[in-house]
Amino acid sequence: MSIDVSGVTKKFGDFVALDDVTVSLPTGQLTALLGPSGGGKSTLLRIIAGLDSADTGSVTIEGREATNLPARKRNVGFVFQHYAVFKHMSVAKNVAFGLEIRKRPRKEIDKRVAELLELVHLSQFRDRMPSQLSGGQRQRMALARALAVEPTVLLLDEPFGALDAKVRKELRDWLRRLHDEVHTTTIFVTHDQEEALEVADEIVVINDGRVEQIGAPDTLYDAPANDFVMRFLGETTDLGDRTVRPHDIDVSLSPGDLGAVSGTVTRILRVGFEVRVNVLTDGGQEVLVTMTKTLARSLGIEEGAKVWLTAAKGATTVPVMPASVAV
Amino acid sequence: MASTSSSMVGSGSPVLKWVLRLAVVGYLFFLVGWPSALIVRRTFEGGTQAFSDALHDPDVTHALQLSVTVALVAVVINLLFGVGMSLLLVRYEFPGKRALSALIDLPLAVSPIVVGLALVLVYNPRYGWFGEGLDAHGIQIIFAKPGMIMATTFVALPLVIREVVPVLEDMGDDQEQAANSLGANGWQTFWRVTLPGIKWAVVYGVVLSLARSLGEFGAVKVVAGNVSGETTTAPVLVQQKYQNFEQQTAYAVSFMLVAAAVVCLIVVALLRPSEHSQSRRLAKNDAAAKEIP
Repeated sequence: MSIDVSGVTKKFGDFVALDDVTVSLPTGQLTALLGPSGGGKSTLLRIIAGLDSADTGSVTIEGREATNLPARKRNVGFVFQHYAVFKHMSVAKNVAFGLEIRKRPRKEIDKRVAELLELVHLSQFRDRMPSQLSGGQRQRMALARALAVEPTVLLLDEPFGALDAKVRKELRDWLRRLHDEVHTTTIFVTHDQEEALEVADEIVVINDGRVEQIGAPDTLYDAPANDFVMRFLGETTDLGDRTVRPHDIDVSLSPGDLGAVSGTVTRILRVGFEVRVNVLTDGGQEVLVTMTKTLARSLGIEEGAKVWLTAAKGATTVPVMPASVAV
Repeated sequence: MASTSSSMVGSGSPVLKWVLRLAVVGYLFFLVGWPSALIVRRTFEGGTQAFSDALHDPDVTHALQLSVTVALVAVVINLLFGVGMSLLLVRYEFPGKRALSALIDLPLAVSPIVVGLALVLVYNPRYGWFGEGLDAHGIQIIFAKPGMIMATTFVALPLVIREVVPVLEDMGDDQEQAANSLGANGWQTFWRVTLPGIKWAVVYGVVLSLARSLGEFGAVKVVAGNVSGETTTAPVLVQQKYQNFEQQTAYAVSFMLVAAAVVCLIVVALLRPSEHSQSRRLAKNDAAAKEIP
């Protein structure tokens, strides 16, 4: 049992948003759809929700054929990037909306709304209007509203994208804890790899309307399927014909290993605890190396120094793709 | 003192400011204020007796009743179609949408007399396109209430739409999609989410339409003909009475029309600062909240 998307293609005019996407999202897990803007991840989410329809292909939600089912009959909870709160309704009314539509008894609605507001820490705001809430509070309210109808699956479209960094981080942790409590199958869209790596059980990397790789965060990080995935999951640099992470490069002041690439330090920049070293290899390649300040000091590297670079033992590397575009 | 404080707040010189103020006030006074005030003065020149006499004139009461009836029916029609058309224009994509949008402004651009003539051409019982068929079934449009309602509806058509469309656009369809995903069908979404969102624009559009419909003269005069006072609305009556040297009655009816318009404008003014600015403030808060958590 899960959400099965098979052979879904979606075009907007000439633009191919999704190109024959087939993916199976497991029940009860927190899955991230990760990818750059315009890569098709939001479109996929909206097709699962029934807010957009696929040109071809099918969607099955928990074994139920949903391809031609309208959004209101799919029993999915959807959380929008810009909250989409009902502006003219109080917080409690917003949360109660789905239950009122379902004509549940008043008592049951009141009880459920109280529970949910407790869950999202908004109990004391129940009679406020959305305009009196902060962005983070509004998004929590939107989440409670989506959870009220006990959805089969909870879909979040860049839920924290409109919030500032600090609140985003708080809400991200909170979403993880919430999911551990509620266990609703949850899929969220993000372009922030840190968010995906930190929160998700499973990540689907989507780019150019295609699925690049599916796997647990560690799998993706340690064994990226291609240089796109590797580049997207964090900073990378090219060393010789391999793409490698800047902190996975060993620097030595003497030619040690046979495969070491020699070069000259062009620039040293310290950012907090981190030191970023730019090296121009003798072959004319710009390589970025990062290390701790302590290590940089013990090595004693300075601008203009001659250095030899090797990929660290056990470092994740992928071959450099010709004409690949850096992200 | 006022000039020093305003010169500190404003950017131009105080002299220029007063000149501009004077120009605006003078302009409004000579164009609007004085003529309207004269109507009121003339109406009550001989005390309230002449005014109450005029109001007891059966011609006058009939005309006023007819005007109100026609205006109300036209407003109801424009309300239903206006909201429907606005939704169509904002929420749906279809070929010819821009042409339709431009067509909606036509009644504002075309002279009402022409509107009346056009309706006569289509619906008159002798040689109109539909007129003959309708007449054969005993339905009379021209020189009767239906024609007058049609003419009034035509003239006031854009007012509700032009109020509602920008608010609908501003609102976006996020809330409607959210309602949809929470299980609401189209009808429920409209009543519970869309309509409350555009409520004040609709009210404003209705009040404007009402004021416009009550005062409509040209289009109605052409389609109404003059069936022995049966189809004379208040504005048409003003003209007739004035030409028949019954000035006092003409002034009285004019005063009623001005009073109705002023009441409409006061209603709008009362609604606008409170509700409109509030909703605008909310919108601003929204924008701000997107940055400030």
